[in-house]
Amino acid sequence: MLHTRPVSLKDQAAIVGLGQLPFAKDIGRPEEVTALEACRLALADAGLRPSDIDGTSKWSIQMTAENAIARSLGIPNLRYFGEVGYGGGGGCGVVGHAAAAIAAGMARCVLVYRSRNRGSGGRPWAGTSRERDNIAAETNETALFAPHGFVRPVDQVAMFARRFLHERGYTTRHLGWIAVACRRHATNNPVAMMREPITVEDHARARLISDPLRLLDCCLETDGAAAVIVAAADMARDLRQKPVYIMAAAQGMGPRNWIMNNYFKDPLLESPGAYAARDLWRMAGVGPRDVQVAQLYDAFTPLVLASLEEYGFCRPGEAGAFVEDHGLEVSGRLPTNTSGGSLSEAYVHGINLIIEAARQIRGTSLNQVPGARLSLVTSGNMVPTGALLLRGD
Amino acid sequence: MADAAPTGFERRTGGPDWIPYWAAARARELRFQRCRGCGRWRHPPGPMCPACGSLEHEWARASGRARLLSWVIVHPPVLPAWKDRVPVPVVLVECEEGVRTIGNLVGASPEVLRMDMPMVVDFTPSPDGDLVPQWRPA
Repeated sequence: MLHTRPVSLKDQAAIVGLGQLPFAKDIGRPEEVTALEACRLALADAGLRPSDIDGTSKWSIQMTAENAIARSLGIPNLRYFGEVGYGGGGGCGVVGHAAAAIAAGMARCVLVYRSRNRGSGGRPWAGTSRERDNIAAETNETALFAPHGFVRPVDQVAMFARRFLHERGYTTRHLGWIAVACRRHATNNPVAMMREPITVEDHARARLISDPLRLLDCCLETDGAAAVIVAAADMARDLRQKPVYIMAAAQGMGPRNWIMNNYFKDPLLESPGAYAARDLWRMAGVGPRDVQVAQLYDAFTPLVLASLEEYGFCRPGEAGAFVEDHGLEVSGRLPTNTSGGSLSEAYVHGINLIIEAARQIRGTSLNQVPGARLSLVTSGNMVPTGALLLRGD
Repeated sequence: MADAAPTGFERRTGGPDWIPYWAAARARELRFQRCRGCGRWRHPPGPMCPACGSLEHEWARASGRARLLSWVIVHPPVLPAWKDRVPVPVVLVECEEGVRTIGNLVGASPEVLRMDMPMVVDFTPSPDGDLVPQWRPA
């Protein structure tokens, strides 16, 4: 007889430590050093020592490998070390894998870290990098696009956005409301990179980067480092901070995926987020109406409109009215990106969104949503993606 | 440029899947992969048919007629090859064969573009000098 025991990561692990360096345009030291500093901050926050860590989970594109982290921190042994690809699509999966490893008995206490010197480092179109030349496309993934001058993430999102706005009846003014909400939440955040309030008129006047998208539709270029510690639920209860339980974690890719240029499947406008959302709500056993606060991945404003539909906060076509007139601010319909998000706090592939989602459950956000019990955070939905649903006791 | 340096075409291939696509364009032909097992068209190209699993395909000539799905106009900052060409219009089209592809808008200004309007293929040089598939209003 086949013996099976259903295993779920639901509520099996909790975020117990948060560490984050102040964000900067030029942080002045290497990614390996800032990653270690962020890890030490997260350990101190949790009241843990390096010898308590027995697992790591990281973004594939994180340049500092886990053995370098472990030997500098003095971690005696890593029983689990994993990683997730796809840059900004990976963050929630990175934390989800930590929870899965704990639920599967492969680790008890997993360190997640991300450091990235993008503000001071390579940006090919700014002439600060040699990583791409003018027109060559080295990989299958970019071959179709490079010979047409179509290589920046903003171009790829703009192509999606024009069709999305057209089919749903949204306007670029709706995109402006998303930028305004993120900026509003950054104004009282001392580590946010952009703190001057903006209006939808400012958004409409910003220079075009990839028509229909403007400068204020785009995230920031940041040097940043942050870390999160995920521990088994029974261990979490005895630590320094209020546990932030991982109620559900999901990833999704959808059919015929092409990174960023995901135009070759049907439905054309359905992103990987739609797939992650279905699994997330199924595991959690709750729905979007039960959520009080969200961190929706905002590398570019159109991603937030799409996520509001995909995660079920709005029916298709209703997200525009949902975001306008301060709908995403703390007193609005769904407080979103409450530390300023990628648009106004920092762009570090979403680890700042995960940290803010956890702060909302701890009750320590600078823009705290009163009575926040369930906190959603999503990863980049133009690439293979993921999401987490966090809860308190 | 040294004699041994690869041409734009050679650098641009994106791997073996793409060589016939660019070679066809240099001959002013739009060709896509078509499965020899089940006859389905596919693009961008890949080694296996996702419908039937066949590894056999031909590079079949497409009609060059398409429908406009979306477009963007690229403004600075851009890579060096495009600095003197901005703003650069780029279109996403769905071909009669059912596959989608992109190219630059040629022969018209972006102001004339309307969603779902008919488009036809054309061939003009990429900044590296090789002909590539582009699109203009039909």
